[in-house]
Amino acid sequence: MPYARVHAEVHEYDVFARKTRVEPLHQVGSVVAPDDDLAMAYARATYDEERWVEMMIVPKAAIISLWAPGGDS
Amino acid sequence: MRYAEWCIAAPTLEADIAAAAMGLDDIGHSRVLYGSLRELGTPDAAEDDGASYANVPFLDQPWRDWSEFVAANAVLDGAFTLMMEALANGNVDVLRTRLKKMLQEERYHTLHGRSWMQEVNSGAALQRAWRESLEWIGPENSDVDELHRAGRLAHGVRDLRRLLEERLEGKTPPSGLEWGGWEPIRRRTQPGGIDQATLDMLQGLAERRYMPAGG
Repeated sequence: MPYARVHAEVHEYDVFARKTRVEPLHQVGSVVAPDDDLAMAYARATYDEERWVEMMIVPKAAIISLWAPGGDS
Repeated sequence: MRYAEWCIAAPTLEADIAAAAMGLDDIGHSRVLYGSLRELGTPDAAEDDGASYANVPFLDQPWRDWSEFVAANAVLDGAFTLMMEALANGNVDVLRTRLKKMLQEERYHTLHGRSWMQEVNSGAALQRAWRESLEWIGPENSDVDELHRAGRLAHGVRDLRRLLEERLEGKTPPSGLEWGGWEPIRRRTQPGGIDQATLDMLQGLAERRYMPAGG
């Protein structure tokens, strides 16, 4: 039965989590997926090694970078 | 077990990891359910051969195509989750308290299955998984409807069928279900059982090959 081995189009998502309410969210990794549903499933499967009290994903395309290593400013 | 077989064979690395994670989740869920059954006074079933296991036929043999994984994930896992929801919202205290974490974890199985169903043409496998899910839920006016009337299950057969159809978003359900050969314990119409290699692993026989001599 034919199927695309990899998705025709994928998006990158950054994964953020924290272990306690008092600490800030921090980036724990990233996932690549064709949609938000699969990105959530992948983030949870890949980064569920800790007892996080909160986890969220953000599409990388939604992040506005002010500056970064190697940039002009 | 079948999920785990795909943890190095899925189409993407992320799907490999998800297959392993979902397999581990389901082992944990089995432990919770078996523990609950014992607490409710159900004796352990015999595990002598493949036909002793009350599994749906879809799990009898290893899946040979990713579309079968997707169908099992989207349809069979979906049907199991709906039954767990019906139990968690029923009037059996042990199940009301123990199944909540299971349902939280199953949410991610649902997301995974639903999304992959959009990506993969799993037509024949999906129809087969759906038919076997309906057989697993059982015919109307059987044990599931009796448990629903007694309040132990929050949903009856018709509700479960409708909820499963809603999850599959516009796909056409199988028609012409035949209940003639339906086994009420194993909840299936087809004879057969788990393949011998998998059975050996389930019973720990395969692992014994690696034990020191005399161990």
